[in-house]
Order: sequence, then structure tokens, then C-alpha cells
Amino acid sequence: MAEYRVIGKDLPRKDSIEKVTGKALYSFDVSLPDMLYAKILRSVYSHARIVNIDTSEAEKLPGVKAVITGKETWGIRFGFVDTPRYPADQPVMAEDKVCYIGESVAAVAAIDEDTANEALDLIEIEYEPIPAVFDPEEAMNEGAPQIHGEQVPAPGRKCAWQDWGVARAARSFNPVNNIGAAVNIGYGDTEKGFAEADYIREDTFVIPRTNHTCMEPHGAVANYNPFTGYLDIWLSHMGYEVKRYWISKTLGIPIGKIRGHKVFVGGAFGGKAQAFDYEIIAALLSRKTGRPVKLFLARDEVFTSTNNSVALKINVKKGVKKDGTIMAQHVKLIGDMGAYRGSVPVCLFLCHSMRDAIYNIPNLTHEGVGAYTNKSTTMSKRGHGSQQMTTAIEAQMDWIAEDLGLDPAEFRLKNLRNKGDILPNRDRLNSYGLPDCIKKVVEASKWKEKRGQLGPGRGIGLAVSSMFNGSGYWPFTCASIIKMNHDGTVTLYNAQVEFGQGPTTTMCQLVAEELGLEVEDVNLVDGDSELCPVDYNNWLSGGMFVSCKSALRAAQDLKQQLLKVAAEMLEEDAEALQVMGRRVYIKSDLQEVVTFDEILRYSIQKHDGDPLIGKGFNKAVPEIEFYPSLSKGSGRWTDAYSFTAAVAEVSVDEETGRTKVDHIWVADDCGREINTAICQGQLQGQSVMGIGDALFEEVMFSEGRTVNANFVDYEIPRALDVSQITTIDASDPDPNGPFGAKEIGECARAAVIGSIVNAVYDATKVNVKSLPLHPEKIFRGLREKTN
Amino acid sequence: MERKLIKVRVNGEPHELWIKPNITLVDLLRNELGLTGTKIGCISNSCGACTVIMDGMAIKSCSILAMQADGKEVLTVEGLAQDGTLHPLQQSFIDHAAFQCGFCTPGKLMSAKALLDENSNPTEEELRRDMEGNLCRCTGYVKYIEAIMDIAQHPGKYSAKEG
Repeated sequence: MAEYRVIGKDLPRKDSIEKVTGKALYSFDVSLPDMLYAKILRSVYSHARIVNIDTSEAEKLPGVKAVITGKETWGIRFGFVDTPRYPADQPVMAEDKVCYIGESVAAVAAIDEDTANEALDLIEIEYEPIPAVFDPEEAMNEGAPQIHGEQVPAPGRKCAWQDWGVARAARSFNPVNNIGAAVNIGYGDTEKGFAEADYIREDTFVIPRTNHTCMEPHGAVANYNPFTGYLDIWLSHMGYEVKRYWISKTLGIPIGKIRGHKVFVGGAFGGKAQAFDYEIIAALLSRKTGRPVKLFLARDEVFTSTNNSVALKINVKKGVKKDGTIMAQHVKLIGDMGAYRGSVPVCLFLCHSMRDAIYNIPNLTHEGVGAYTNKSTTMSKRGHGSQQMTTAIEAQMDWIAEDLGLDPAEFRLKNLRNKGDILPNRDRLNSYGLPDCIKKVVEASKWKEKRGQLGPGRGIGLAVSSMFNGSGYWPFTCASIIKMNHDGTVTLYNAQVEFGQGPTTTMCQLVAEELGLEVEDVNLVDGDSELCPVDYNNWLSGGMFVSCKSALRAAQDLKQQLLKVAAEMLEEDAEALQVMGRRVYIKSDLQEVVTFDEILRYSIQKHDGDPLIGKGFNKAVPEIEFYPSLSKGSGRWTDAYSFTAAVAEVSVDEETGRTKVDHIWVADDCGREINTAICQGQLQGQSVMGIGDALFEEVMFSEGRTVNANFVDYEIPRALDVSQITTIDASDPDPNGPFGAKEIGECARAAVIGSIVNAVYDATKVNVKSLPLHPEKIFRGLREKTN
Repeated sequence: MERKLIKVRVNGEPHELWIKPNITLVDLLRNELGLTGTKIGCISNSCGACTVIMDGMAIKSCSILAMQADGKEVLTVEGLAQDGTLHPLQQSFIDHAAFQCGFCTPGKLMSAKALLDENSNPTEEELRRDMEGNLCRCTGYVKYIEAIMDIAQHPGKYSAKEG
């Protein structure tokens, strides 16, 4: 873009030097004087009563400074969801029973890791196993083991949404037949829609749990000062605001006394958003000992205790006219929640809302339930609901197209919504690059020449996805401050957390563009809850659209102030001035100049010491006052959607059933690319993550025990698994995005998974309705076909 | 536990330390020497985040005992830049925006250096095969491979600095 100097370029990342020299500080690298090391003792039973815990021998071990159990946190509850309908349901440590293998039962802080581990061995726990249930459908049967009794909020306890100021008090919740979450969304008349359809198809898909496998394992360093009552925390996280809320809520430490420090985070992908038991435990141990505590999880603990993605059984019934017009859709979901509710109520809702901007379906019913099972809890993962639902819907779209003799690309284009449409929940499609995404990806991949023409064992598939840009229920607000420095540079204060997605670079680009500066002229103070203004962070991909926009608004505010003072100095109208290169010019006479530092000095001298501070803030969905309802889907969800269309070309070895992805084309509407290299990186990363999802990733359980909790048995894509990836910019600038920009970190994964699934079907005509597409499933399908 | 004496050169610096004989090399680097650039992703020899170079060979420092480095020369990510100048691989990683979260980056740099020291002109296939042991969840490997291939295909960029 010729019109911009700084944005739309592949400028080097601001975190470059730290990250290539080993100087980037992650929370595990933090060491404090007098620090203790903590370890957690975890349940080895899926479902058992705790008859007795004897910690006396562990306490006697020299070097052990504290041993804690559920007695210390009895009755305290936390959770990803804590709403009037769904009270928080997770204890910090198990109380009188354990509900999954890996649940925290006791924790130790000691002078070193060896001593802490030795102490764990000395803790004696007497369990009394009780019948367990692992399958959500079995869990919902009459007579199945009941995992939880009625969830009654403690007297006087406010739920999180009440604390956040927009909801009423929590009611008690009785999980009858283990049902802990439900969603029921609809519009139009679904039965009438089916009656008007010429063709109806119903399919059921099974999507397994997968793990985020961030390269950095989860962990925390906590430092409680017993004299001042302040708690300092260094976390592996995606934003401190929810973390310190839950530490405050569970331990009673005032939120203003909890400081989240800046660290780099070694990957997140939705898996480090929520508060974790180990974070509360680390803070509790620090408060108990008055010393800093470091608590880091081993890789197997990450797999078994920090929440996998949500496993869903998805039934989709669709009614279509002969010409390909979709008339009705009915979706039924069954979610495998695990021992606690996790994010499942949100996920069931997002399965609908993440995809409602794509197709114009006049009559729709979306129902879902989540059931408790004796397994670890499940949570958001990059796309949160979108990838599960996209796999099912987009696969079925291809089979419908085949049955009706339609081209899958044309079938999709025919049913898209339009730019400017208002969705049933009142969200507006102010930008809608999806048609362009499809057209561009079809063209680049030579879809029309290849579809059905590639020969035996080879196939090509298309799928589309969409993504929120922050949401009305998170993040609530993000804010930024920019101060002027005496050399004409500026310093931006914004609390986004850098976990790889690149805000430390892109927000500086936005500020530099607005203020006529170079990126190097923008210093950054980020990721710290005390140094920076409030920021509810990047959840639901609100990083660019919500938080970075607050940085742009702060720059706009500062620019107005600079121009106002400069106008006074130059005796000109502010409108006649422009900024460039740490200077303000008169547009018509480029010789008339005042420098930023002259403006700053003038302002301090003549305007009562005003040092020129820009302020910006931004709410994800400005017009709404209240949250949407998760269970009914009412209310507005987001202010803009991003879109992706992906095409995959694959080869399937018909002897073994093994799939090789040869090429992925991914066209993405991110509004406007702010940093082109970062955008490409996000799309490439999601493409390769999608290969893992489609072909081999699955967290496997046997009687509630995770059997592949390591990188040997749980495969993720490696350097050789990577095919050719072509990224295509198909952006439609959004009027409410910063310079039009929307998210690019989350949307594409779902489309890529769907495109691979469809390509494998195109290659084999084997109808696999479960992920991953293990070779044996394909092999079996091919053999059945030949017989 | 009786401590044992280890003599090891790390990033050119000689060290003589009395250590517990059960600690791993990555513990020595991170906890005894404060070199936290080397990361721990799995402690089971399967992710590559802890890769360092010992006597010219890329090794996973989580899976050998520190005592096995006795008398050896160890290079970590902190030893790559010399006299305030980035190593060409580091510069290439920056130029290609190779990393995102950066957690696996030190291990990748060390694996790539060990490979290029032995074979300055690998094919992309050889490079990908060599990097199989260095997992990355952010980047899809694309830009890492581009960054290293750029060095491999322009030997001047590498040898000018490295000799």
C-alpha cells in the first residue's frame, strides 16, 4: 500500500534480538532470592473418595517448608465459566473426592526440586475408588455414576459476571444425569425449512480432544510479601486480568495488590487463558511461607491436568433445494466436559456463533449438551468450537454438493451471506472478505482444473471458516497510554501479552504510522499489570481489533494534542498541519516546522507543565451493555468477523491409508495486513497445526488415564510433515478495525482442517466421520469399498 | 549427595564447579551458570528446545548428565553472537521473521549451526530431516527453514563471519 509508510510491511519483530540471543525472559527463567520450588501430588484415580491424607512424614523432611491439601482451600471454587446459570465448579485442590486422574490433591514447597519430589513420595493418601464414567453419553444415562451433587454457591458469594458488574447473582445448579451445560439457539422455522427442501442429509461426526502443546510448559512464579500483602506473579499466560481476578477471588488477596509482571510466553493457542489450580497453589504456598515459589509442570502434567480442547459429537441435518439453496440446518452436539465444566458452555455456543456469519441459513436450530466425565477438563483451543464445527459442516457441504452434482466452491458461494448483512443476533457484516477468499483460493490452487482430475489416490478439498474479533463478553476493555519523550520519540504502554502472535510489533507499527514516526521511535512497555493500563487481552482474537486499536486511539489522541500546540506555535489552524519524522509541518509550506521535542518543551512551559500524554481505550462491541446469553445465543457477539478459505491437495497411499498433504493454499480476510511477515507466519502456523488436527492428533484415554502424554506418543507436525503452503491476502478492511485490520491468528486453522478432510474424501471417496484421519480408518474404508 | 568436580568450557569460558552428579547438563547451564537461554520443553529428549552444541555435535542437554560434559566444550545460544555482532543465523532468523513465541528458537539455532558447520550446503530435504527433532508449534517451520536455507545457499553470509 503506497499510502502507508509503516503498516503493510514485513518489518522485523520488536522482540527479535531478545528471542535470537536467548535473553527473552519466560516465567520459568525467573529466579528470585530465597526462592522455593513447588510440586503437586496428583490423583491416580479417576473417581475416588479421599478417606485420609497423611502429610506428617513429608512435613518432617528437612528442606520442606510447606505442605498443603484441599483442607486449606475447602469450599473455594473457580472456573472458566462463573455465570448466574453456571456457578464455578472447580476446587483448587481435591476435597473429599477426586474426579480425574491428574487432579491436584496436595502440594509441597521445598528448598529444591529434589526435596519437593521426595516429599511428595512421603504423602500417604488413602483412596476409596468409586464407579467412574468416561463417555459423555453413558454419563447422561439414568443410573450412571453421578460425578457432582448440586452446585450451591456459598452464601454471599458473587459469581464472576456479577463481580464484573453486568449480571445478577448465581443460582444453584443441579447437574442431573451429569449434564453441566446446555445450549439452545434457533431462528426461522426449522421443520418448515426441511419440509421445503428437496434433499435432506444427516451425518454424525466425532471430534477428539487434542492438546495445545505449547512448547513452553505451564507454570508460575509467585512472590507474596507478608509485610505489605502484595503478591507478584510471573505466569505463562495470555493476559493477567483473569488470572489475578481468580487469585484474588480464591485467596482473598485484594486485586490491587496483585501484580502480573511482563514475561514472554512460549505459545498459548487458547490453552493458557483460563486460571489454573497450580497458579492459585503457587500463590498460596508463597503466602504460607512468605517466600517466592516457583511451580512448573512437567510435560505429562501439561497433557493430563491443564485441559485439552473440547471433544464433541456433532450431528448435522441439512435440508437443501435442488439448486443448492440451503433451507434448514439442525445441529445436535454432545460435549465431553471432563471432571469440571471448563469452557464447554462457551464452546457449545461458539460452535454456532463462530459460523453464523458464513452461510445464510434461513431456518436453524442449534442444540447441545455437555456432560461431566471422569477425565481432565476441556478448554478453548485456537478457534474454540470453530474447528470442531467447521470439520463437520464443511465435510457435509461437500457430500451434499456431490449428491446434487454441484461444484463445492459454487455451492458455497451460492449460500454465503453478503457484506452489510445483519445477522439474526444483530451483528453486522461491515466487512466480508469471504467471497473473495474463496475466489482467490480457487484460482490460486487451480481448483477447477484439478477437482476430480488428479487421478487415483490424489484429491483436492476446500473449506471455509470465520472468527470473532473479540467479543462483548471478553475482552471488556483494552486501554493504552502514550507519552512523549524529550527526543521526540514516544513510549507506548499496553498490557497485551506477547505469546508469539506479535502485538509488540504490530501495535508499535500502528502508533508509528499515525504519528509519522518510525517503529524504532516507539518504545514499548507491555505485559505488566501495574505499569500498563487495563487490558483484557487477546481472547477470542480481540488482540488487534480491540487492544491494538486502543493503542491507535492513544496515538490519535496524542496527535491531536501535538497539532494543537504546534498550531499555537506556528500560528496556524491545526487542520493545516501534518506530522512526519518527529516534526509537525504546515502542509502548504513544508519549510515551516516545529519538532516534537520543541512542542513538548513549549507545552510544558506554556501549558502548566502538560507533558502531552495520549490516552486510548476500546470496547469490543461498543453498543452493547450486557453479555450475550451463552445458552440462548441472544445478544450481540462481536463487532467484526474474519474469514478464511483454504484448499488442500493431498496424496493418499492406498496400500497403507497414509495421507500426505502436498500443498495448502490459504486465503484470509484479516481486514488489512499490518505486518505482512507476521500475517504469513500466523497462516503458515495454523496450516501446519491443521495438518496435525486432521491427520494424527488425539489425546487418548484408557479408563480415564491419558495414555499418550508425551511428544513420542502424541505426535505433532514436524519439519518433514510440512507441505508447500501458499498464503493469500484477501482482506476487506473493516471500518471499525485499526486501519481496517482484523485478527489473523485464529480463523484459518478450522478451514485448513476442513480442506484436508475434504481433499482426503476427494482422493479416496472414503467417508470418515471422525478425526484424526488415521491411516487405519482410511485403509479400512478403502478395503470396504473394494469388497 | 556427594558433589563432584566438573571442568567444562561453556561459550569459551572455562568453569570448574562442584556439582551434584545427578544433575543434567541443562540444569548445569540454567541453574549453576544462569544461562537461561536454553529452554526445557519436555525433559524427555523429544522436543529439542534444550539443544546445545557439545564438541561440535548438537545434543539435547536435558538428556545427558552434566558430568558427561566434563572436559568438553559446550556452546549455547548465549555464545552465538560475538563482540556485539549477531551470528549470521541469528540475523537470518530476524530477517525471515522465523520465530513467533521464540521458545524453541535457541534450540533451533543450535541445531542449525551444528548442521551447517558439518554440511554448509544441505538440501532442503536434508535440512528438514535434520530439524525433525526440533519441535515448533507456532510457525509451521516454514520461515525457520527459509532462514536457514538462505544461509546455506549464500555461503558468503555464513563463512564471512564464521570462518
